Amino acid sequence: METRRKITAILLLVGSLLALLPLTANRSFIVKPKKLLSDILASEVSYTADQVARFIVNEDSTVRLIDLRSPEEFKKLNIPGSVNVPYIDFINSDLYIYLNNKNVRNIFYSNDDFYSNYALVYSRGLGYRNSYVMEGGLSEWFDVIIESKFTGERISARENAIYETRSKAAKLFTQINSLPDSLKAGLMSSNKFSARKLDGGCE
Amino acid sequence: MGPLSSYYVFPEWLDLLVAFLIGTGFGFALEQAGFSSSRRLAGMFYGYDTTVIKVFFTAAIVALVGSQLLNYFGLLNLNQVYVNEFYTGAAIIGGVIMGAGFIMGGFCPGTGLSALSIGKIDAMVFAAGGLLGAFLFAETYPSIQNLANGGYKGAVKINESLGISPGLFTLLLIAAAGLMFWIAELAEKRYARPDITNEI
Repeated sequence: METRRKITAILLLVGSLLALLPLTANRSFIVKPKKLLSDILASEVSYTADQVARFIVNEDSTVRLIDLRSPEEFKKLNIPGSVNVPYIDFINSDLYIYLNNKNVRNIFYSNDDFYSNYALVYSRGLGYRNSYVMEGGLSEWFDVIIESKFTGERISARENAIYETRSKAAKLFTQINSLPDSLKAGLMSSNKFSARKLDGGCE
Repeated sequence: MGPLSSYYVFPEWLDLLVAFLIGTGFGFALEQAGFSSSRRLAGMFYGYDTTVIKVFFTAAIVALVGSQLLNYFGLLNLNQVYVNEFYTGAAIIGGVIMGAGFIMGGFCPGTGLSALSIGKIDAMVFAAGGLLGAFLFAETYPSIQNLANGGYKGAVKINESLGISPGLFTLLLIAAAGLMFWIAELAEKRYARPDITNEI
């Protein structure tokens, strides 16, 4: 048999095998590039560290913090109430698992803005409009919330409210991150995503 | 695991170096296969030599099958592979202009540069024409902007719009390629020009 006929036969065989395999989760961006760009550049898609601190102190149930760092980094330090989804896992999975609840605002954070911004573009491009970022990531959180100090003689009511929220959030952060590793592991596992993608067939 | 550039941040020089090496290899392969002859591409339109369609179509289906298999084995995440956006008007009008350029110049952009690198004068004129076209496009862009950006359909994949699995689409495309190669060989026999093909 001629080589090209052999190659055609092999390709047809592999093609038939591929046709029998199930549909993958490959999906394309559904938002137009211009619209996506204007969406992610708008100030409404990001929250400051102060706003996030307020959500935590008020135990706002309409907000979920998603930590995109590695599990090791997450175990060391994390913002109270956050869920760890490492960036590589995030972009490799069907986002429906994480972002399906439209009533919850999902706020991404990483050490800085890098991975959180990537995750924001990716999820918004796929049509998940409930995705947001925390500006500046954990380094901003440390600068604004943890290192927050009041210096001066007089404080206005507004400044006082901000300062109180910051100190409450910082206290929560320190309490949770200073827990023994065994207790911390238990707390983190209760925070994991429970939603599973539905599979067909019998199990 | 892949695509590597989505998972790991490479310095710009490394990205450019990889692009340079792949481009050089591609150009070398084109030249070795005799694609730097404009008569070969012209043969595609006149029917006496259909090597171009056979080679490029084979390359496309091998890449398609390969990427699908890597995806199923978890080695390549196809969600992270860039899909070119589709603009209906621009695709039709641009396609016609490009096709006319192919037959008039006797090169496609890749083979043109490959031929340029071995010093072919017609390829130099072709490349200059390409650059002039790019210049004119940029200069007249404000007036053709609506046409260029009209009919936007997003990064659509054919299998998604047909509602079939990527694997089934791959099989159909392989079958279509096989059929097309058969027709191409019939054309080669019917419109044979041994005086030209023997020289390429």
